[in-house]
Amino acid sequence: MSNYRPISSQQELEQLIERYFDGMTTVEEEAALRHELAHCPWSSEDIDDARVVMGYFVTHRKQQQRQHAMGSTRQRIIGIAASIAIILAVGGYTLWHQQQSRDICVAYVNGQVVQSNDQVMAMIADDLDRIDNAANAMTDQLSSLGEALELDNE
Amino acid sequence: MKRFTIIILTCLLTAMAAMAQKGLNINRLFDGRYKKAPGATEIIVTGSQACEIGLDVYHSVSVTDKTQAEIIENLVVKDGTKAMDKEVEYRHGQLYYGFYTMPKQRSSNRYIFFLNQNLARKSPKNVVTLIYMEGRASADKIKKLIRK
Repeated sequence: MSNYRPISSQQELEQLIERYFDGMTTVEEEAALRHELAHCPWSSEDIDDARVVMGYFVTHRKQQQRQHAMGSTRQRIIGIAASIAIILAVGGYTLWHQQQSRDICVAYVNGQVVQSNDQVMAMIADDLDRIDNAANAMTDQLSSLGEALELDNE
Repeated sequence: MKRFTIIILTCLLTAMAAMAQKGLNINRLFDGRYKKAPGATEIIVTGSQACEIGLDVYHSVSVTDKTQAEIIENLVVKDGTKAMDKEVEYRHGQLYYGFYTMPKQRSSNRYIFFLNQNLARKSPKNVVTLIYMEGRASADKIKKLIRK
């Protein structure tokens, strides 16, 4: 290649292509031609044909491989993104559901809804009072039983 | 794809576990049947209001219907067999008062109170009350709460 003079014009390139197809080029000239076809900006029917015959298939295969690799990477990224989106959606829904079912303060009295926090809390206090009275009755009973036993032992 | 399916299944199972039932017989009574029933009172308090009384969940039902009272008593007694600790009083062969400490669930203490005021000696009333409480509060704290 070092013996080969760089091609300076489109016409010169087309002549070299013609010589290539006639089988009259040297190994160095063929190498230079390949290099020129890959890098030069010129375009004509002969140049484009030569490009197809000499380099297109290789370049095209490499491009396909690159696109395939890019495609599988893209698919992987989409898969990961979809997984993350589903995890966030399910997690979000669970949190939302828990939050929705978290702050409730309501009472239903004879089919009527009571939503005032104060009223509901007063009803709870009333519930607890009733339980307390019953528990006290039980304690009273136990202590009177204890007193009766003590008296009996005296 | 396999990994993707596993992730989805894990998420669904986690969500289902988070919303799982509490596994008590009395939960059947909290299906909303008393919300519109005449002579019944149902109270549901969770979240910040429940926190004010040291709980995560407060759910109670009071009924005047004797048939319902029997159903409630039966379910409470059934749950009572699994209680870790209990204080009960029977009158005339019927449960009058019950305080049950149920096994913990997800580090939450669970308590069931039952009171049949029909069996009260002083001024009996035609009311049966069931209370379910859930939270980190200990049994002593719950008793203190009742005696406030």
